[in-house]
Amino acid sequence: MEITFWGVRGSYPVPGPQTVRYGGQTSCVEVRSSEGGCLVVDAGTGLRALGQKLAREGGGAPGRYHILLSHVHWDHIQGLPFFEPAYIPGTTISVYALLTAADELQQVIGGITRHEFFPVPLEAAPAHFQYHEVEPGVRMTLGEFMVLPIALNHPFGAVGYRIDCDGTSVAYVSDTAPFTDVLHKQHFLRGLETLSEDDRRTLDQIRADLVKALSRCDTVIYDTHFLPDEYARFPHYGHSTPDQALEICVEAGVRRLVLYHHAPGHGDDLMDKIAKEYAEKGEALGIEVVTSFEGMAMVIGGAP
Amino acid sequence: MKVRFWGVRGAFAMSGREFLRYGGNTPCVELVTDDGQRLAIDLGTGATELAKSLMGTELGKGKGELHVLLSHTHLDHIQGLPFFTPFFLEGNHISIHGVDPAGTSLEATLQNQLAPHYSPLGGLENLGAHVSVETFQPGHRLVLGPFKISTAPVPHATMWTTSFRIEADRKVVTFLSDVEYPDPLAPDPAAVALAMGADLLIHDAMHPDEEYDLRRGWGHSPVSAAITVAEAAMVKRLALFHHSPDATDDQIDRVVALAQARTKIPLFAAAEGAYLDV
Ligand SMILES: [Zn+2]
Ligand SMILES: [Zn+2]
Ligand SMILES: [Zn+2]
Repeated sequence: MEITFWGVRGSYPVPGPQTVRYGGQTSCVEVRSSEGGCLVVDAGTGLRALGQKLAREGGGAPGRYHILLSHVHWDHIQGLPFFEPAYIPGTTISVYALLTAADELQQVIGGITRHEFFPVPLEAAPAHFQYHEVEPGVRMTLGEFMVLPIALNHPFGAVGYRIDCDGTSVAYVSDTAPFTDVLHKQHFLRGLETLSEDDRRTLDQIRADLVKALSRCDTVIYDTHFLPDEYARFPHYGHSTPDQALEICVEAGVRRLVLYHHAPGHGDDLMDKIAKEYAEKGEALGIEVVTSFEGMAMVIGGAP
Repeated sequence: MKVRFWGVRGAFAMSGREFLRYGGNTPCVELVTDDGQRLAIDLGTGATELAKSLMGTELGKGKGELHVLLSHTHLDHIQGLPFFTPFFLEGNHISIHGVDPAGTSLEATLQNQLAPHYSPLGGLENLGAHVSVETFQPGHRLVLGPFKISTAPVPHATMWTTSFRIEADRKVVTFLSDVEYPDPLAPDPAAVALAMGADLLIHDAMHPDEEYDLRRGWGHSPVSAAITVAEAAMVKRLALFHHSPDATDDQIDRVVALAQARTKIPLFAAAEGAYLDV
């Protein structure tokens, strides 16, 4: 397998001189099998450039695409109406997501192109969209890929994915808070809330299931939006620190951790420092730590 | 009056080296009177940068007031709203002024943007500041502090956007973005009237003329339409605005050079950066 990062930023796209090297577009990762099979994880603003590449490669011919969504916060779906293959007739785009709100997936995801928000509704796009609900713990086979959705701890719910293919594995764990402070239920959090015994048991279970799902995974892409001091101020936002990601990945025996979903305010120079600091921390713990940047391509497991 | 462009890019925010001089943020413009009162137009991603600069004002202490005008609610014009930090400070009073989108209300549209599945904010009621959404009929006049504003609906593909003529300190700024006239080379009387004699006209110029034929009907103007309105309204200065996401700095330079060769009206391409005297 090979993966390419098309958007590594969290929350919103960040143009400007501070993001030239690590990139300013939001969540989007392309996963390729050695046979050429393709999965897209998350449809943030990075999806626009990926769509341009896929349309170019396809030479205008209709294609078949699978897009796995972690959740439907704007930074993870905003790229969909700008995905060039959606405008190629005969193309089929299957979108996989957790049903986190009362609405149907089609209403929620299609809803980003209501006429108030976007000039052309997705349902009127020439491509055919299919929506599939995923369930944590229930495996799916998508072409050559075996995909396992994993429950995460984020407002209104999010899922991660472990993807096995070509005898190796990569997992996408974003967006998620750690499993100590907050249980993200379906209501607005103004700050930290006291956890009940039940809440604690639920969080322990989510954490145990995550560690099990990531067991001996080759590469794990993890939401590491916050530095520890930022996390202390915003523990209810639903994101983790690199230290929290390291703890989970070391416990699961992961070979390589990729830092991802960078805070919009983390400019290139700060990202350099984070990259260096956590590469060293990882080395001491026996795990490779890589900081993702836009355009980064990475071979998973052996050579593809 | 001063003006500052915090976002000049249309449709999609662009990061990277090729977009540094004009800037990659989506629309957001700030107007400041000589005695320091402010007005913001549109809340694209540029609003996240405007927010940082406002933290140094009363808005950073939870004691500020701000009026925001929205031309319309397409995402590139509201995408910075959930990250506009003055909203999070209790004590701030922020009012958002715009026209109801067809078949729904402005407030319902913004609520939908912040709905729990799309945003952890969950809704306008969870913003710490006192936020009011105030709608007006297209064509109505508004007085917001020192700013006297005339409005007009202009065609934007299948819908209408609101354009603004803003007077303060005896200067006039006209904002005409996200507009495509049925005939881009025949001045639209309402648009010309709104821009008449303006000190600065900020006008949609998303498409270089030679690319316009491919984009006709998408709701945006070729550069020539901006020049046509500027000349008919005899404005003092024209800012080309809402640049295509694919237009690199060098390409915008070329568009500006071509445009300047075609008209006597002083013009420039709007760029993120310093405050400009109107
Ligand atoms: Zn996110
Ligand atoms: Zn999120
Ligand atoms: Zn626009």
